[in-house]
Amino acid sequence: MRKSLYALFLTVLFAAPVWAQKTVHGRVTGADGSPLIGVTVAILGSSRGAATDIDGKFSMENVKADAILQFSYTGYQPKSISPGNETELLVVLEETASVINEVVVVGYGSQKRSNISGAVSTITADEISELPILRPEQALQGRTAGVQVTQNSGSPGSTLTVRVRGTGTINNSDPLYIVDGIPVDGLDFLNANDIESINVLKDAASAAIYGARGANGVVLITTRTGKKNQEGKIRYEAYYGSQSTWKKANLLDAREYAILSNEAHIAAGVKPLPEFSNPDALGKGTNWLDALFTNAPIASHQLAVSGGGEKSTYSLSGNYFNQDGIVGGEKAGFKRYTVRFNGTQSVKKWLNIGTNVGLTSLTRNGLPENNEFSTPLVRALNMDPVTPVRKANGTYAYSRYSDTDITNPINAIEQAHDRWRSNRIVGSVFGEFLLGNGFSVRSTYSVDATFATQDIFYPKFDLSNDPVLSDAPSQEKRLINSVVKNNNTWRNWQWENVLNWQHTFGEAHSVQATFGTTALYNRHEYNGGANTNLPSNNWKDAYISNTIDPITSQSAYGGADESALNSYFGRVNYAYNDRYILSAALRRDGSSRFGINNRYGYFPSLSAAWVMSHEDFWHSDLLNFLKLRASWGQNGNDKIGNYSFTTIVNSGQNYTFGPTQTITNGSVALTAANPDLKWETITQTDFGVDLELLQGRINFTGDYYIKNTSDMLYAAPIPLTAGTEAPVRNVASVRNKGLELALNYRNRDHAFKYSFGGNIAFVNNKVTSLGEGGQPVFAGHVQSSNANVTKTEVGHPIGSYFGYVQEGIFQSREEIASSAFQNEATAPGDIKFKDLNGDKIIDAQDQTYIGNPAPDFTYGLNFDFEYKGFDLGIFLQGSQGNDLYNATVRYDFSYVNRPVHVLKRWTGPGTSNTEPRVNLSDQNQNARVSTRFVENGSYMRVKNVQLGYNLPPVWLKKIKFDKLRLYVSAQNLFTFTQYTGMDPEIGAYNGALDSGIDRGFYPQARTWMGGVQVMF
Amino acid sequence: MKIKHIIIVSIAALFVPSACSKDFLDRKPLVGSTEENFYKTPQDAVAAVNAAYAALQFEISPAGHFRWFWGDIMSDDATKGGSGDNDVNALLQLETFKGPVNTDLLESEWTADFEGIYRANVVLTRVPEIEMDVELKKRILAEATFIRAWFNYNLVTMFGGVPKVDHLLAPSEYNLPRSSASEIWAFIEQDLRNAIDGLPLRSQYAAADLGRITRGAAQALLVKTYLWQKKWPEAQTLAEAIIASNEYQLVPIFANIFTVAGENNSESVFEIQYMNASGGNWGKNNANEGTFTNVFQRARGTFGGYGFNIPTDALVAEFFKEGYEDPRLKSTVFRVGDPMGDRGTFTIDATGGFPYKYYAKKYFSNKSEEAPFGDPNPNGESNDRVIRYADVLLMHAEAAYHNGNESAARTSLNKVRARARGNTPSLLPDVTATGTALLDAIYHERRVELALEGHRFFDLVRTGRAQLYLGPDGYLDNVHSLFPIPLSQIQATNGAIKQNPGY
Repeated sequence: MRKSLYALFLTVLFAAPVWAQKTVHGRVTGADGSPLIGVTVAILGSSRGAATDIDGKFSMENVKADAILQFSYTGYQPKSISPGNETELLVVLEETASVINEVVVVGYGSQKRSNISGAVSTITADEISELPILRPEQALQGRTAGVQVTQNSGSPGSTLTVRVRGTGTINNSDPLYIVDGIPVDGLDFLNANDIESINVLKDAASAAIYGARGANGVVLITTRTGKKNQEGKIRYEAYYGSQSTWKKANLLDAREYAILSNEAHIAAGVKPLPEFSNPDALGKGTNWLDALFTNAPIASHQLAVSGGGEKSTYSLSGNYFNQDGIVGGEKAGFKRYTVRFNGTQSVKKWLNIGTNVGLTSLTRNGLPENNEFSTPLVRALNMDPVTPVRKANGTYAYSRYSDTDITNPINAIEQAHDRWRSNRIVGSVFGEFLLGNGFSVRSTYSVDATFATQDIFYPKFDLSNDPVLSDAPSQEKRLINSVVKNNNTWRNWQWENVLNWQHTFGEAHSVQATFGTTALYNRHEYNGGANTNLPSNNWKDAYISNTIDPITSQSAYGGADESALNSYFGRVNYAYNDRYILSAALRRDGSSRFGINNRYGYFPSLSAAWVMSHEDFWHSDLLNFLKLRASWGQNGNDKIGNYSFTTIVNSGQNYTFGPTQTITNGSVALTAANPDLKWETITQTDFGVDLELLQGRINFTGDYYIKNTSDMLYAAPIPLTAGTEAPVRNVASVRNKGLELALNYRNRDHAFKYSFGGNIAFVNNKVTSLGEGGQPVFAGHVQSSNANVTKTEVGHPIGSYFGYVQEGIFQSREEIASSAFQNEATAPGDIKFKDLNGDKIIDAQDQTYIGNPAPDFTYGLNFDFEYKGFDLGIFLQGSQGNDLYNATVRYDFSYVNRPVHVLKRWTGPGTSNTEPRVNLSDQNQNARVSTRFVENGSYMRVKNVQLGYNLPPVWLKKIKFDKLRLYVSAQNLFTFTQYTGMDPEIGAYNGALDSGIDRGFYPQARTWMGGVQVMF
Repeated sequence: MKIKHIIIVSIAALFVPSACSKDFLDRKPLVGSTEENFYKTPQDAVAAVNAAYAALQFEISPAGHFRWFWGDIMSDDATKGGSGDNDVNALLQLETFKGPVNTDLLESEWTADFEGIYRANVVLTRVPEIEMDVELKKRILAEATFIRAWFNYNLVTMFGGVPKVDHLLAPSEYNLPRSSASEIWAFIEQDLRNAIDGLPLRSQYAAADLGRITRGAAQALLVKTYLWQKKWPEAQTLAEAIIASNEYQLVPIFANIFTVAGENNSESVFEIQYMNASGGNWGKNNANEGTFTNVFQRARGTFGGYGFNIPTDALVAEFFKEGYEDPRLKSTVFRVGDPMGDRGTFTIDATGGFPYKYYAKKYFSNKSEEAPFGDPNPNGESNDRVIRYADVLLMHAEAAYHNGNESAARTSLNKVRARARGNTPSLLPDVTATGTALLDAIYHERRVELALEGHRFFDLVRTGRAQLYLGPDGYLDNVHSLFPIPLSQIQATNGAIKQNPGY
């Protein structure tokens, strides 16, 4: 503080108007005296500028004495100084403790955080780069209150479930992703190292400028650009890590398996298998999970160059990323190359042009995941431990016991060849016309084009002991190989024109107005083919034309679909003295996805904020910033399919004509088209507060919102008058209410610097209508019960678990006789289900809501420490109060393996009141959907721990580096959970109605890694 | 830059991209048979109207009806039958006029009718825009118009006024309330007049089109429509036009009408086609070209049927009304001791011991005519003879009588009797009666000629005689002349559809 006062003193002292021009030298440091490198120094009112060097020094020629030099540097408060007579300046920049002055990207513009009246969360580049992430969505997890991110699978490159403020619809609840103004599907093409910031527009008022696409929140991603007047910098960043599983399920070993098998046979009145007569002789047998999991590498190399001159900026980067899977290794591997160029140029004083171009080439190998039929996980969990991985001759073995789906998982991985390769270009060019008087027009044309091919090969194999006898069961051999090739192209273009006007009337009234139009066109084309019986069994030879069969065995298919959007939008922001802030926005969206009767939608919003702390009466040093916010708005969800308004014409509606009674085809659509089809509407009200204490050392943001989804698409039954099956209509509704709190504390005053942050979000989700006569929706089929797990009904959360309640285990015949009737075959040791309606019969009426996959709250916590070049960051993230449905054990099969808790089974009166007896045939339906499989899904995860060391400036200077940082880190180091499966973080892979069901989930890896960051 | 320039640049920037936005946003599916890319060729037009025909065949829940359920079982001509009271119990409740308001039988009727109307409306909406032969298009539109009228006729005669669905309903229109019965009658009349204009005569169709709706069918249904509304002069005139067309002749031998060879015979005016070789099953009978009527009406036991539609003593007695057995009884009813085609002799034991003395005969099919493959039960062969020329003649007689034209009435009536008489001149002499005796003779003739063909209940209601004949069963004129609207549909429309009085 003293130093900055001194600097200020100097400034004032030498601020006398002297008209001479001279060369000014200077040095810029932080409060601790260390040089700041790359600080932008600009002369106000000119395009001239400079940047500080490694010693924090700069020099500028021909500076007028009354010129005002502006110093700006990310993370520090900007400062303006007039050199006066001084030629040697010492400038001390204060770190920004406060976030209220940070610039936040909002739709079609940016605003100071202090002037924002909506609910917008920001994730910075620092936070993003802390984790070795493949997809930028991962960076959102735990960082922003109200954005729930769940991994859909631990396999590299898999999608994530991202929910902004709860599940807004039973249909597609994904937010809208905008990268540098370009709407994109999926973020796997984007290299996280290229990201400058991610802003999430959470409330309807902020998202309203995106109209029909903003209902489920908007994620705005801005990529890094060069800075004007910044010396060229080269950055190299790399890390390498090793991933491994952090938890393996405990399964029966061969001895235990045999014991239980014998018991199960006896219980069913069947003779036990002779080879299991001496279980001890079988020993441990095979641990299929040990055989399945491998250590897998993860690596990234990034080389980036950026800088800028007086009239231009540039940023060029290249990245290589590689991640293999802990299941399947390279067979589940992901490899990506990206190149990005962002540049701007001032051409005339009234014209700026620029471009952002990203090129991505990625390869993802896929293994089946998230189903209980064909995934390596479900096979390893259910394969009996008696069967070895390989036979004595080294070839893979097959099981004599397990059934259809449960095949040798190691062989299945080896036989899997499913490669997805895509090349994508996402880029834009813009011209910005500065019209004077605060007006500017920016016209941007962008393209997002993806060219993808999928190569699938199903090789011949046969696990038989004797190839002549071909003794292996049909699922353990494939006698004819086949090849499938798919080509997909997505080509989207967008043309946007945005008029901006900024003006301040008098001193106090500042107005910012934005008006624009968008035309957006998407087209997807696919074609593919298949063939069988290839002479070569090598996947490298797998081409459709490499066949011995006649050409007729080939199949081919192809098609296309498209959509278009045409919109007008406007927004006016008004601020009076930075105290009273008003913002209103309106968007009109026309979409080809909407039926002809509802082709255009209007999406209004209003928000207001009052910065109380800017009032004259406010005198609090403790609470230095206080803003109250309120907003209301409507958004739409247009992720309703491209042609949902139309319907399929069904053939086969035949009639008989002619003397010989000829069946003659008739065709008609059996389901009605819906020309009224439109977007799903979300109306959201938000109240928020932002405050800062102790000059920014503590800042807090809180939001309460009510988010009502109406017009939700659902095929509710219709009056028979229509003459058709019910079409999908805008009839249902959902409500999400929630509270979001975020608190940060930072102290950077001393050599030991530290900061803590935390955020927490509570969401309450409830279906409020399924339309007139709307029936509950059952979904989430699990094979082990051959039934649906979830029921979505008015008054309950979306996708709630619904089934029977396990009351205990029948201990005796007497207990069975005196209890509600379940089944003729019910015997002691079977599960006693609760007779909820008391009618003495256990039937469908005794089902109830037994679990909720939505958490009560999700949270994130981070701790950062710095001391003399060392830095330590710890990041925790968790979910509380959600249930998971554990469907990993295929109880529908008799001979599959079981988790060790089965050892605590009922074997006689008093032995167990939780785990039923084992029995080959489950006549009592102990495996029906019930509380037996519902588990507490709460967890807290130490997502990241990172320890870094920055080389001190003295050393850096010797090697002419600006920065050299080395670090080691661990991801998913600890996970605290009661869940017995292998990973509690289970998303909604099959959509909102199928959330948190574990069918053999591909778990996330624990990763140990080291990295280096260099800048010069 | 000047303000003017700012304005020009801004306007240009904002509005240029949105030019032609209407076409830009009009994106129809590019592949697959969707509504957007079907209805482009003459073949599509034919397929569309064929799908409307398919609705004529609907019989079993969730969409469909048996005309004989309502016309015969509800009347004094037949009782439900079956394996006992619990076999389609709702039908027993209906025929004894005890409600009920929520049976799948009525819901199926409602569904079939409105599904048929929907399919006809699809044709009437989509076919006009197809570029194709003008004559063929005209015919297809007329066929669809008839089909729409037919389903509305079913609805109005059963339920009275119903929602008037004269176009494809948008979802916002699903809760359409009921129109009055007279509005529906007017709608039917209008459709039939349009159909008559567009339909070819029976003789003008190619052989391959046998079974398509003819101008005569539309005329005959319009005659029925007039009779219901007591528009006697219009009915007589139109019936005479059918007679004068010379398109139809009574089949010489009455017994041949209901044989397989008698399908689409010279007196067939409107006949719903069924065949036994489509392999259809018990699902919603979209893809089924066979009828269930054969198996439903056949005796149980060794005959393998379900024994529905049991003729009453009253019906049999009607055949003896002239002092001797009307020769048509043999072709209408099986009596104990009769051979049941190639399936054996009718004894109570052979039928499984059910206490039924009679079985309906007109839709009996021989074992040899059973489906060559698949389950024979859903694949009955018999066409449904909806309107025969004899019916047209009797309608003409009735209309002429009410117009005071008794000799014309007798002429038509006696044509029917002459055919029934066959080669036995002593039987069924020409009617010479006048006044109400003539009307009674016409009514008697309808009952015996058209027995068990699904007419009787509606004839009784139409002619105001239902209370007289069905009163003992519980019929009340102000209530049971109409069936109850399915309760589910009152609920589904949130009460926009109101129940008929008395239910």
